[in-house]
Amino acid sequence: MGKRSLLGRSIPGTSLIHRLDARVKFIAAILLMIATLSAKSPIVLAVIAVWTAVLIALSRIPLRIVLRSIRPIIILIIFAMVIHFFTVGGTPLFEIGSIVISREGLISGLLTALRISLMVIQTSLLLTLTTTPIAIADAMGRLLSPLEHLRFPVQEFSMMMSIAMRFVPTLLDEAMRLMKAQSSRGADFDTGGLMRRARGIVSILVPLFVSSFRRADDLAVAMEARCYGGTSSRTTLYAMKLQRRDYLFLFAAILISAFVFLWQDLVK
Amino acid sequence: MIQFDKVSFAYQGNEDRDSVKAVSDVSFTIPDGSHVVFLGRNGSGKSTVARLMNGLLLPDEGTVTVDGMDTSDDVFIDEIRRRAGMVFQNPDNQIIGTTVADDIAFGPCNLGLPAEEVRSRVKRAMEETGMSAFSDREPYALSGGQKQKLAVASVLAMHPKILILDESTAMLDPASRRALMDLILKLKEKKQLTIVHITHHMEEALLADRVYILDEGSIALEGTPAEVFDKKDRVLSLGLGLPTHIEIAHRIAYATSVPYQPEKVTSFDGAVQFVREALATFSDPVLIDGSPEGEALSGTSIRTENEFLHTKEQTAALSQRESSVESPVVIDVNHLSYAYAGLPGSHVQALQDVSLEVRQGEVLGIVGHTGSGKSTLIQHFNGIIPSSRGTVLVLGVDLSERKIIRSIRRKVGLLFQYPEDQLFEETVALDIAFAPKQMGRSPEEVAHSVEKAAKRLGVDHVLDRSPFDLSGGQRRRVAIAGVLAAEPVILALDEPAAGLDPAGREDLFDDLATLTSEGATMIIVSHDMEAMAKRCDRILVMKEGRVAKIGTPEEIISSAAFLEDASLNVPPAKRFLDALADDFPGLAAFALDAKDTAEKILEAVCFSNNNEQIFLREARSAMNDQRSFSKNNESSSEVGSFPVNHDLPSHSPSSKNNASVLSNDALPIRQDIALSSRGNERLSDIDKRSIKQDRPSTEYASHNGTSYTKSKSCEKKEESSNG
Repeated sequence: MGKRSLLGRSIPGTSLIHRLDARVKFIAAILLMIATLSAKSPIVLAVIAVWTAVLIALSRIPLRIVLRSIRPIIILIIFAMVIHFFTVGGTPLFEIGSIVISREGLISGLLTALRISLMVIQTSLLLTLTTTPIAIADAMGRLLSPLEHLRFPVQEFSMMMSIAMRFVPTLLDEAMRLMKAQSSRGADFDTGGLMRRARGIVSILVPLFVSSFRRADDLAVAMEARCYGGTSSRTTLYAMKLQRRDYLFLFAAILISAFVFLWQDLVK
Repeated sequence: MIQFDKVSFAYQGNEDRDSVKAVSDVSFTIPDGSHVVFLGRNGSGKSTVARLMNGLLLPDEGTVTVDGMDTSDDVFIDEIRRRAGMVFQNPDNQIIGTTVADDIAFGPCNLGLPAEEVRSRVKRAMEETGMSAFSDREPYALSGGQKQKLAVASVLAMHPKILILDESTAMLDPASRRALMDLILKLKEKKQLTIVHITHHMEEALLADRVYILDEGSIALEGTPAEVFDKKDRVLSLGLGLPTHIEIAHRIAYATSVPYQPEKVTSFDGAVQFVREALATFSDPVLIDGSPEGEALSGTSIRTENEFLHTKEQTAALSQRESSVESPVVIDVNHLSYAYAGLPGSHVQALQDVSLEVRQGEVLGIVGHTGSGKSTLIQHFNGIIPSSRGTVLVLGVDLSERKIIRSIRRKVGLLFQYPEDQLFEETVALDIAFAPKQMGRSPEEVAHSVEKAAKRLGVDHVLDRSPFDLSGGQRRRVAIAGVLAAEPVILALDEPAAGLDPAGREDLFDDLATLTSEGATMIIVSHDMEAMAKRCDRILVMKEGRVAKIGTPEEIISSAAFLEDASLNVPPAKRFLDALADDFPGLAAFALDAKDTAEKILEAVCFSNNNEQIFLREARSAMNDQRSFSKNNESSSEVGSFPVNHDLPSHSPSSKNNASVLSNDALPIRQDIALSSRGNERLSDIDKRSIKQDRPSTEYASHNGTSYTKSKSCEKKEESSNG
């Protein structure tokens, strides 16, 4: 089976973060993302780091798993860091050949790495790890609902989103299985000439497409058998009423973001 | 109540083919509260009938009504679908919600019920199906059995009156299948549901009030389970099988000439009781020794007595040969362990300190509960999963050397579960050619291997067609041919026969058996204990990632307690023997199948009566029938009048060899016994399929002149008795 991707897989729980309204989490995540990316000074970043630590504690998700969420983009983080090391000028710290690494460059690189990591941790903590895909899809549908006036099929769109989310793990597993089956038949994915590799990839993609269509077909029948698209209007199950905790959390997120922007303005 | 009135339905064909008539002129009525089972081969129209029931398909001709509502009337369709809920075959493709609770809520939400009502229905449905603990689980984190229970819960939340199960148990292992059926029966009882069940599993048909067997879109046979399974020849000719205990009862009834009682033997316990009583009358010493009937018997079959003796000698010789010849070890696994990442943050120990040896030319079966590590183990055999801890030596090469993996994959063919999903080329021929081409064989070699593999699996007539146009069973065969075309010397198959109907399963195993006769080594992973016992030389039992036991089928199956401990199915043949163990002290603890069980029971009876000679001769000849083990037993004719099949991978000497000897000359003897003896039951019917195996019966006759003559004399007898 190998390593399973965290994509689209939330970890069930009943912590405060888990129980927050998905819409609130969605908006808070976007606010914090902007704030974190624009945080320049170490003090501001420290505040955000503390805030992130509080979030982790509140979510009661083991640190190990939270940290795993930055694994897919670790290369990107290192790359950004190294670029800063070499490009930011200032007091030379040490030299390797003709390359000079400055004190400022080093600090700036580390801060960049920290900034990206914090952003990713916050987003995945609020959304992917503690919120089920269906809740995210639902939240998006709600947030988009004003578009209904423009004849945008919001309900269908959010149903589509949630089904797509639901099938991500299934399709990933299937792709893995096909890859193993086809390499047992001698298919190549990472060695050999271009043609060979192309054939290898085709041997996975074609069956994957075919099976996706078959699944879609099966699923459509299964949905129909359970009266989807019938005459009655669908019940909205999660009446999504904002609780006090939702207002408090949203307030905190706005506060943090405001602090980031104001502090940097003041310091300037 | 569901009513079909002269219903026909055809799927729209695509451009180059006409539309296919899937159901033609079918009429039946399913009363409220009944339990109805539909049987039939793959492609017989069962699923189409199911989909016509709740308006997922609409009939071209005739009408379908549910509680008086016509399915083709739009006004009723929601109500019909609410009343007649449906559970489909593939657990993955019917779950819509992203969590268990969400999925159950999907149906009620579609009905527009108030949110409060939806929530209470979800809660109830979870309680009724035992899914409450999983309410927030996502579907991928459920086992196949749990997914199907979820599907049942989702239907229950609609408050249905009818539950349609469209092969819902087909993709489950035996334990989950039983759990699901138990749940369904409990719910039926509690909620007065009507159950419509479409299945390949004959045992499940026994639960029904009424059984319909479909063939090419029409009802070929219908009745109570007792009535249907009483017509065994018809059932077999429709590509289905008999439940093991019923077949045993048929055979014992025949051998003892006690009238067969269809009603009684329908249940397992009834069949055991029937056999017990039948033997009680038959083992009466007076009957055998002195009665005219006894004499008549000894008069007709003196030959068989000699035959039996010879058979014993042959058997002994064979088993000696086998134990003296040690073929080389082709797969050597030492202390192999493997863990994969499961749910985020956890590891699943799939294999734990597994060691085993596979010898050249043997058929090794691997059985074990779901998640016992079977599939993980065989994926180590061609390096698809690299060995991390422990070593795997294949053909003497250590697979931890990644460089040689490619050359090993040419030698080791690995067939994944549901391999029909991996077809991708434009034509069948191209798809089968993929592996040999990738392995750099010359075009001539490729063409040759493709032809050979396609022939072996009987798909040589569809080589030019697109694999996506074929039926599921044919696609399965094409996929297997695609693995065989690489001409591997070791073949590992993961559930090759899953989802096929009984005849399809047997045929596929027969075709695969031709490989072992050519010296290939075969490893089969399966849940089907009975098939494993019949087809394998040795069986490896996996339990929770460890090797629980490895041995001959006899060694493995002899202890029911061991099987249960390993969460395995105790094969019905074995259960039958165990149920009779107290009645007959000398009774064997292991049998391959129904036929073998019946033989062993009869052996035990004569043993206790000291009447071995007469009785065994009688019993054996009576039991002579059943399809042969392997298709290519032509070579057996060289062995004189005792066709012992050397090609057979028989390591469990007594039973298997006897079985093959008997099956080779099955036709003549079987016919003569059937006709000459007093039984009005004809086991011969069961042989329809071995006749079908495209071999002229004269070939059998040449194996055994005497029995052929005898059969002639018996034909005369029949004529006179008919006249």
